[in-house]
Amino acid sequence: MKTLIIGEIINNNLSSGTLEILGKAKSLDLDVQVVTVGSDENPSIGLDLCKQTYLKRQNNSLNLSKAATKISEIIKNEEISLILGSSTYMCRDLISFLSVDLNSSPVSNVIDFDVASGNVSTVNSINGGESLYKTKINSGQALLLIRPKAFDPVEVNFNDDFETIDLDGSDLEVFDIFIEEKSGPQLEDSKVVISAGRGMVDKENLELIETLASKLNAAIGGTRAIVDAGWMPYSQQVGQTGKTVKPDVYIACGISGATQHQVGMKDSKFVIAINKDEEAPIFQLADLGIVGDTLSVIPKLNDNI
Amino acid sequence: MKIAVCAKQIPDPANEVTYSNGTIERPEEQVLDDTDRYGIEVALQLKEKFDAEVTIISMGPSGTQKGLQQALQMGADKAVFVDDESLKGANSLMTANVLSELAKSLSADIVIFGTESTDGYSGTVPQQVSRYLDLECISYVKAVEINDNVTLTRQTVEGSEKLNMPEKCVISVTAGGVEPRYPNFKDIMAAKSKPIEQVSISDLTINTTQNLEFIDIETVENSKSGEKIVDEGEAYQEIVNKLKELKVI
Ligand SMILES: Cc1cc2nc3c(=O)[nH]c(=O)nc-3n(C[C@H](O)[C@H](O)[C@H](O)COP(=O)(O)OP(=O)(O)OC[C@H]3O[C@@H](n4cnc5c(N)ncnc54)[C@H](O)[C@@H]3O)c2cc1C
Repeated sequence: MKTLIIGEIINNNLSSGTLEILGKAKSLDLDVQVVTVGSDENPSIGLDLCKQTYLKRQNNSLNLSKAATKISEIIKNEEISLILGSSTYMCRDLISFLSVDLNSSPVSNVIDFDVASGNVSTVNSINGGESLYKTKINSGQALLLIRPKAFDPVEVNFNDDFETIDLDGSDLEVFDIFIEEKSGPQLEDSKVVISAGRGMVDKENLELIETLASKLNAAIGGTRAIVDAGWMPYSQQVGQTGKTVKPDVYIACGISGATQHQVGMKDSKFVIAINKDEEAPIFQLADLGIVGDTLSVIPKLNDNI
Repeated sequence: MKIAVCAKQIPDPANEVTYSNGTIERPEEQVLDDTDRYGIEVALQLKEKFDAEVTIISMGPSGTQKGLQQALQMGADKAVFVDDESLKGANSLMTANVLSELAKSLSADIVIFGTESTDGYSGTVPQQVSRYLDLECISYVKAVEINDNVTLTRQTVEGSEKLNMPEKCVISVTAGGVEPRYPNFKDIMAAKSKPIEQVSISDLTINTTQNLEFIDIETVENSKSGEKIVDEGEAYQEIVNKLKELKVI
């Protein structure tokens, strides 16, 4: 099946989400090409295993709608039937625009898909992963938004062999571009993740989490409740509208375990939860649950590690 | 300035979402999706500055209209909705098709959404509506500064960026982007006399089809029968032991 993957660039390279989708596409033996949208000057995104096209946009204007128009053109000219992108801000915008152009409703939050005798079918996880929802797509083109960490990334060698198409800017000028500073272990690839919720009681108490994280060489995450409260930047949010993590050990501190949070962490290998409410849903996911006060348990942990 | 702002009625999120034949079961009484409160708040702030008219647009079983009332209580002027059997289980594109037709019928300059609904969370409708209306889409707005110009801050993967709001556009507002207001008793009473109008689907141009076919829902056993220990002062030791066993320390 002729397939187009919308690629995204992080740190001058293809994002892990893009490589995961490529991995799946290869395992299904799809006839795949990648069209990457970004604004980096000289990214290293040429691929040894399939064609790569770079749609280069200026980062001083918001012109994703123009990128979508270009991708629509490619889809129509090359008779592409399957269009795949990660559930990221950029791909959600692009796939939504494309769905109107192609008059085909996309499927969001896909965790698995298959192609059999020309038909695409998908699996979504609903109710925080308690159920799997299966869909068959009955339109000429199938558009899928794939959740991060759904598939193993492909192993590729990057080269400089790709075509670059410069996109026009739009009238919507962008200013004050702010890039969050990243330091320490990152959520996506850390073996240990410690996440904080409202049960840390106060922003100041996140120092306890930082101390523990540095002792365990862990990345720090949080719930949407504390991100909304301004305790932590959005880039550290774990869950449906944040990051998906799959560490060896996930330590949930003062987190109730709402389904929207579970979606982002339930595939962690070993889950430790500290919560004073023994009925908290997070305990259903925990391999080791401590019914107790975060502010008493974590300081003792810090003193004894 | 005419503003259309989307408000979805959803089953009370305190209860688990249930499905019948692949479609979310909707009780007679549904509530306003909290996600939409952020968009409504932005619309109301714009109204205060620019004397705009704010109309709620909605699609889905109207039932007791509680959710629409809640949207009006916040301070919107009126509501229009489409409720049609043929839209049951509508996919995101059909939904966007209907909502963009509603926005068009109102000659809305600015169309505002939350980023994704709490029950369906496909998270594509605002962008799809912008494409239907051929308007710029400013998605994932997390801060709004209203002076003579309106400056919007967008969330991006790497951080954020700012834009000036054009005269016509579609905006989606993230949760936490603004602080939604709580209606007082007077607002609640005032909402009762605000117009709520049903629009017939036959008055709208609908080109979308149901291209997604429901196959099956399968339940997976998630819950782990892990150990649960009540802390009496020494439970930290269990964690230390476990971390050693897992070779983290
Ligand atoms: C569309 C949508 C998308 C969402 N996306 C996300 C997402 O991506 N990520 C996400 O996390 N959430 C998301 N949410 C929000 C989610 O529904 C929850 O509201 C949120 O996860 C709750 O965060 P919390 O656990 O920190 O807070 P709460 O639910 O308030 O839980 C706090 C917990 O701390 C415990 N506690 C309190 N004090 C102590 C103490 N001293 N010691 C120990 N325990 C204590 C309490 O018992 C409680 O269980 C989303 C919601 C919607 C509607």
